[in-house]
Amino acid sequence: MRNTIYVIAFCLFTYIGFAQDADAIVGVWEPSNGKVYVKIDKIDDKYYGKIVWLREPNDPETGKPKTDVNNPDESMKDVPLKGYRMLKDFVYKGDGEWEDGTIYDPQNGTTYDCVINLKDENTMDIRGYVGVKTFGRTDTWKRLEKKKK
Amino acid sequence: MKSINILILLLLLGSFQYTFSQEEEEEEDYSSYGAVDDTPIKRYAKPTISGMSPQKFISLGFDAQMPYKYQFSDVRFPQTNPESGFDVEEENPNINETGRADFTGGLRIGTNIPIISKSSFVWQSGINFMDTRYNISESLNSPRTPVVLPDGTQARSLGRILNEDGLRNLNWTNTFFFPLSEKNFVVFQSQMDLSGNYDFGDFQPLNTVRYSAAAVYGKRVNDYYRWGIGVARTYRVGNLNYVPVIMYDWTSKNRKWGTEILFPARAYVRYNVNKNSLFLTGFDLEGQSYRISDYSFDGNSFEIRRGEVRPKIEFQTRLHGYFWLSLQAGYRWDWSYDADQLDGNTDFFRGFFGDQQFAMVNSLDNPLFFNVSINFVSP
Repeated sequence: MRNTIYVIAFCLFTYIGFAQDADAIVGVWEPSNGKVYVKIDKIDDKYYGKIVWLREPNDPETGKPKTDVNNPDESMKDVPLKGYRMLKDFVYKGDGEWEDGTIYDPQNGTTYDCVINLKDENTMDIRGYVGVKTFGRTDTWKRLEKKKK
Repeated sequence: MKSINILILLLLLGSFQYTFSQEEEEEEDYSSYGAVDDTPIKRYAKPTISGMSPQKFISLGFDAQMPYKYQFSDVRFPQTNPESGFDVEEENPNINETGRADFTGGLRIGTNIPIISKSSFVWQSGINFMDTRYNISESLNSPRTPVVLPDGTQARSLGRILNEDGLRNLNWTNTFFFPLSEKNFVVFQSQMDLSGNYDFGDFQPLNTVRYSAAAVYGKRVNDYYRWGIGVARTYRVGNLNYVPVIMYDWTSKNRKWGTEILFPARAYVRYNVNKNSLFLTGFDLEGQSYRISDYSFDGNSFEIRRGEVRPKIEFQTRLHGYFWLSLQAGYRWDWSYDADQLDGNTDFFRGFFGDQQFAMVNSLDNPLFFNVSINFVSP
């Protein structure tokens, strides 16, 4: 009976530790181009990131909030970029790595396969690629926090 | 009963908390956010602009020129004419070979693999192979006189060499993109070329590798426009040359029109039909210095300075996923097919205005060409 309790306790602590590691990317992040902020959340067992801030929120020509005009899907072209879910379906694989996800680039309307590596608690490398990881580009994102005014 | 009341209370509290957090998120002012560690974030220029044609990682293609006539001069060696050097009359050379190339073309394989690809630095490297096969019909009286080497032995005519061996080019290109800031960048490119009538069972000496390089400083003005200026050491005009480089990439705001210019290597006007297909029209400048082993002796290298301008129209369309089809049609305009003998394999600079004599002065008529390729791309 005592052994069973130890095993259950071990599994529980391991699971909690794994879950805490997995949640390490939850928060608000800034890509290196500084054009947007992306908030990463956990939904069920996967991680998603949506645009919560744009450096240039309105289209300079129309003065209206920017929409996903480069999306190849006509029905998506009027969807506002603010709130757009550009990171999808990431699953934590251990060792600070989230895989099986995709990243959407609103500048060219293309969705790439994507992997995230957490370098430290405030820095992550995010690599979008086509087919295999070799054919891709890595961007470094910085964690943001609310500053006191 | 008491426990049920507590449970209902907890559920209501949970529901209230969820609603509250949703509203909080919607009202959150993210402009007040800043980096946790307060280190300034370095911004970098992207290596492309919006709307450009897809970057080719791997390309498998076939190039073919329509039939054309050619004229080749005598093959001259200064060793046999010590008083007068090559002694080829450039304006009115003594024609020794004439004929018709019924087919010119072959397989083209290109790679451009990201070795390091980060926002702060990009290094791409690729091996490229271009096979040019000839199907040549020599005129009845061609060659008028046999090609005789300085040691008195007789060699194959150039027409026969091209027909039997063809020409091959093996190239290794490395491209380095250094963003200096969000707007400014520098691009370095180095190339090594091994070109000649060799085959892979009988490779030519590695000291005949020819080196090219280019450096461009550029400014990425915005997502739709960038320019650059630089200098290149190049063999694109056949012989070694040093030329200025101008980069001018632009896309209209509606993303329909644009330019992709890296002069003098290429210059295109682009029309994007939609996200999955586009047209390019403009020109490519192709060239290399091809060693002819039959005429290379005593440690010297005899090289055809092949340079051609290719005005063309190109259609690119997505086949499936990241695989795109490219179809090209255009005109192959002969810039140079003359030949030099390089003393001790060492190349020299003639430029556009040099007066060094050629070892052969050749001319090709200008046919149509077609090119088809399948490309693995990054859209």
